[in-house]
Amino acid sequence: MLTNPAIYLTWMSIRMWLRDRAALFWTFFLPMVIMIIFGLLNFGALGNVDLGIVDRAQNEASERFIEQARRTESLRITTGHEADELDSLANGRRDLVIILPENFGPDSDSPGAQWRPLSIRVLYHASRPAESQVGLSLVQSGIDEMNFALTGAQRIVTLEPEAVAARDLGYIDFLMPGVIGMAIMQLGLFSVAFSFVTMKREGVLRRLLATPLNPATLLSAQVVTRLIVVLLQTLILAAIAVFIFRAEFAGNFFAVLLAAALGGAVFLALGFAVSGWARTEQQAAPLANIVSLPMMFLSGVFFPRDVLPGILQTVTDYFPLTFLVEAIRGMTVQGDSIITQWPNFLGMAVWFVLAFIIANRTFRWE
Amino acid sequence: MTTPHHQNVPNGRNPIITVAELRKRYADVQAVDGVSFTVDKGEVFAILGPNGSGKTTTIEIIEGMRAADSGTATIAGIDVSRNPRAVKQIIGVQLQSSAFFEHLQLHEILKMLGSIYRLKVDPEPLLNTVDLWERRSASFRTLSGGQKQRFAIAAALVNDPAVIFLDEPTTGLDPQARHLMWETIQDWKSQGRTIVLTTHYMEEAEELCDRVAVMDSGRIITLDTPNALIDALLARGFHRQHQVRPATLEDVFLDLTGRSLREL
Repeated sequence: MLTNPAIYLTWMSIRMWLRDRAALFWTFFLPMVIMIIFGLLNFGALGNVDLGIVDRAQNEASERFIEQARRTESLRITTGHEADELDSLANGRRDLVIILPENFGPDSDSPGAQWRPLSIRVLYHASRPAESQVGLSLVQSGIDEMNFALTGAQRIVTLEPEAVAARDLGYIDFLMPGVIGMAIMQLGLFSVAFSFVTMKREGVLRRLLATPLNPATLLSAQVVTRLIVVLLQTLILAAIAVFIFRAEFAGNFFAVLLAAALGGAVFLALGFAVSGWARTEQQAAPLANIVSLPMMFLSGVFFPRDVLPGILQTVTDYFPLTFLVEAIRGMTVQGDSIITQWPNFLGMAVWFVLAFIIANRTFRWE
Repeated sequence: MTTPHHQNVPNGRNPIITVAELRKRYADVQAVDGVSFTVDKGEVFAILGPNGSGKTTTIEIIEGMRAADSGTATIAGIDVSRNPRAVKQIIGVQLQSSAFFEHLQLHEILKMLGSIYRLKVDPEPLLNTVDLWERRSASFRTLSGGQKQRFAIAAALVNDPAVIFLDEPTTGLDPQARHLMWETIQDWKSQGRTIVLTTHYMEEAEELCDRVAVMDSGRIITLDTPNALIDALLARGFHRQHQVRPATLEDVFLDLTGRSLREL
């Protein structure tokens, strides 16, 4: 078995990888540090309270109530159907959901009409007491205000808080897929770009050309090695996020690894395209950076793409890293399957084909 | 002397390499311009010539590393352009400047190269041949120039090749290492291997080679045994201005510093 060139070359290139301190630093150490630092910062805690409102009444009073809630600072209001909002609460996208009953509002439509005593169900996130308490008191004070205006201090609307067991999502849950995706991108682009340019410049590839080695065997050994590293990297980063920072990992583990491997293939192909074009490491580095830096900051690695201007959101929709990060995030956060994430997988597949064609055109042995 | 390989044909020739009318052009240079020769099994054959004369290109075409524009080269009856991988399977190659994978130790590089030929290689005898067994755990980059040269020789031997190509094997070596290299080449010859080398050192060609071809501007301008070439020159009335003394400065150097290798 060890005299099979494909297997032996792969085995040797894994050993080479493990001895390459620079590669280990960029591949494992740096993404780990980023994960830990940003995990400790926990930007998510600074956020607003996400309040979902289910409006069963659909009347003037309920609209006024929603209008008023929207004007309240530090409340982020979403309205929707009960099932959707409860699902969002369960998946951690809402801190609390209030349900305005059908009979919300005054007895008659005439001005100054009396309000019936009524109770409003408030469902809140059991494992997020802080946000839930803030949210509850904000809602309470909003209703008190409305009560006062309507009835002169007599409290007729009461809140019925109800804890809902839901997954607790924080910044780390957003961050983990982002850092995993970023690490895969860096590995694919830089490791191939640099090692192949070095081998080309020093004449290692030329020396191999003097042997009966099939070029495809060499390439496959390099690709398989890096895909193994991609999986290892994903495992380590996920382990740190899950076991140290209690990040959510809802989806199927192997589906996430599959997304990581497909993303790895995309960026490896892009790396080969870069290494084919570049003659020296000095040419490869800026090119790889031009490709990777915009994605690192605009593909939703560290912060959601919602904050980008509209046009930039549209452009970044098609970045390969966006597809990768959103596929992994959909799985780990929402528990999506490969099937529900098919658009992101398709996006990666299209990028792989494109990058493969470019790499095939630019790659040279000497 | 346009078809030099017809001259001085020894009896019982058994060509293992046959080269016919090779041509190769780069942009504005005709690097190889109609080169033909044969090399017998067990022969040590040198291609001499100034830099840029086309020696390396010629050798690289025969090794299957470069495609010729026209002409044919066969080794052991295998056409190089048709089946380069079959040719590479039976030859050993030392390039003018070789490089090997980073982060691998010398003995691992040899095993890895062996796997390309689907062979399980024992690095010890190979590294012993070039006196590098002590350095088996070093990486290629940390070797000195001479050690790199010697390691490249060991790497050329992993597949127990029938034909060995050496491109300037002794350039950059000190006299001790050069003499060791010569002994090694003699050993290979006695094992029945065929050796094709290029060199800039005429005493090397004279001492080692059965026949030499002299190339200039992409053509072979003469091809014969070293003695026949010298005799022919003398017959044309050539006289050295100074009589050669029975010892050379190299003899002095080796007498003073010994014949054993310095860098192990």
